[in-house]
Amino acid sequence: MNHHIPPPRPTPESAEGAFAADVPPVETLRPVAHLEIKAAALLLFSLLLIVGSGLYLLYARGAFEPTQTLVLTADDSEGVVVGMDMTFSGFPIGRVRRIELAETGNARIIVDVPRKDAHWLRQSSVFTLVRGIVGGTNIRAYSGMLSDDPLPDGAVRPVLRGDATAEIPQLMASARELLSNLNALTAEDAALGSSLNNVRALTERINGPQGMLGVLTGNEADARKIMATLERTNALLARLDGMATRADRQVFGADGTKDALVPEVRAAVAQLNALLADTRTSLKKVDAVLVEAQAVGANAREATTDLGALRAEVESNLRKVESLVNEINRKWPFARDTEIKLP
Amino acid sequence: MISRLPGLSLPERVWNTVRRWAIAWWRILYLGAVVFVLVLSPSSYGRGTRRALARHLYLDTAPVLLGFTVLAALISLVLTRIVVVTALSYGLSRYALEMVIRVLVLELIPLTAALFVAMRCTIPNGTQITRLREGGRLEALRRQGSDPVRIELLPRVIAGVFACITLAALSCVVALVLAYLGVYGFNVAGLPSYTRMFGQVFTPSVTMVFVLKTVFFSLAIALIPMAAGLHDSGDRTQPDSELGGLARMFAVLLMIEVMSLMGNYY
Repeated sequence: MNHHIPPPRPTPESAEGAFAADVPPVETLRPVAHLEIKAAALLLFSLLLIVGSGLYLLYARGAFEPTQTLVLTADDSEGVVVGMDMTFSGFPIGRVRRIELAETGNARIIVDVPRKDAHWLRQSSVFTLVRGIVGGTNIRAYSGMLSDDPLPDGAVRPVLRGDATAEIPQLMASARELLSNLNALTAEDAALGSSLNNVRALTERINGPQGMLGVLTGNEADARKIMATLERTNALLARLDGMATRADRQVFGADGTKDALVPEVRAAVAQLNALLADTRTSLKKVDAVLVEAQAVGANAREATTDLGALRAEVESNLRKVESLVNEINRKWPFARDTEIKLP
Repeated sequence: MISRLPGLSLPERVWNTVRRWAIAWWRILYLGAVVFVLVLSPSSYGRGTRRALARHLYLDTAPVLLGFTVLAALISLVLTRIVVVTALSYGLSRYALEMVIRVLVLELIPLTAALFVAMRCTIPNGTQITRLREGGRLEALRRQGSDPVRIELLPRVIAGVFACITLAALSCVVALVLAYLGVYGFNVAGLPSYTRMFGQVFTPSVTMVFVLKTVFFSLAIALIPMAAGLHDSGDRTQPDSELGGLARMFAVLLMIEVMSLMGNYY
């Protein structure tokens, strides 16, 4: 079956030369100008293409970039794949290099962070693992304080899980409860239905002949009473108005009338003024009389002084008379009874 | 597949078919091994062979390079547009570029390049070998003590492999550039994220599968038509061995594609 391969003893050149003489060429081989150069150029082009693609791939895989390692520990690494990005503010700053199971049973996600992007990660940075409903899982980094110390190489940080799909059952249960409540609310014999019926009856009564008053009083008789009360109040108010008008007229008087109270009071006051002026004149006269009385008083005081002297003189004269009487009595004893009897 | 010749019983027909099938595949494998050995041996690159090799390399690759690149660019542009617009309407535009790269660069272009080179170069080369064999040239070479595989077949196989790899590489680069331009337009703002996404798609395993697939595609399209042309089918009842070679080539391409898909996505 393989009889066609003899041992390749002769060199190809000799073989080619030999059959060039013996065997006529099957097809005409047109010579290609600068064949070797063109072939070499083609080879070089192909080689450059492949090597260039390989280098670009290495660059894209981050082979030429110095990186530092960050280890994230999670209780579940579901959805995390090697090669996925870690983002910071939506920009990829790291790439998952390996996922391994630690001895404690946690998942260790080893992330390569290029050194030029490592300054976004600080000691206080927080890492989250978020799994969306559509699309893949995302690892996100948040740095609240960019003034904090930078994260060292090989740092181990826990990653917080935020799972959107985990809340779906709870959400469904809540939604089901809500829907059953809504069903109960909107059922034929539910409270909401009867309330709405009452509201409808109420609005019908409001729109009726008795209106809002009928709704408030509850029956027609009371509503009529209130209406009658209102009418009587109106009449009373009209009478009060008339009374006020009359009182006004009596107190202030209409123009041209003389029987009003206020003009009379005004006239009385004017008369009182005149009376007061007269009184003032009288008082001045009394004042003059008093001055004169004062003068009289002074004269009387002077007279009183003179009276004192007179009295002293009278007293001395009386003593002289008494002593004279005594003298006479001693010399002429008229008196039989010498005892003096007191009354 | 089973020969329907009168006068032969069913077991004989089955035996004939299995034998022919086994022989054909064995010849392909054997020729592959021989070519591999010859490619590695320095004596294969003597002056005369080198000239024939350069001629085949140039004539098999250069004329089709531009045409195929334009074709690949057109396909890339249309597919990129379709995928991006569809992804945008579903709100999944962030996955559009990745999908374009996976579909175009990883799957479509290597296969298209292999089929294009097969149609344009290696199947006609296989026909040439058949004609040389039928014209007695290979026999003459053999009589002169020369190796027809080394003289006539090796340059064509190497040229086929080279053309397939070059076309695939160039078209992939063109497709990558056009996908970028189709999504980001004529600016370099999206280049960092594009590069990052490219790096994420081409993981080491995907890259290895891609490289192996391209190499095996090129080997399949270069070797199988030559093996079919080099050997008579040995059965006068089935004269068109070229068509059998073609069917085998497509089967191999399909198998490689399936295996690459399994390697990538399972």
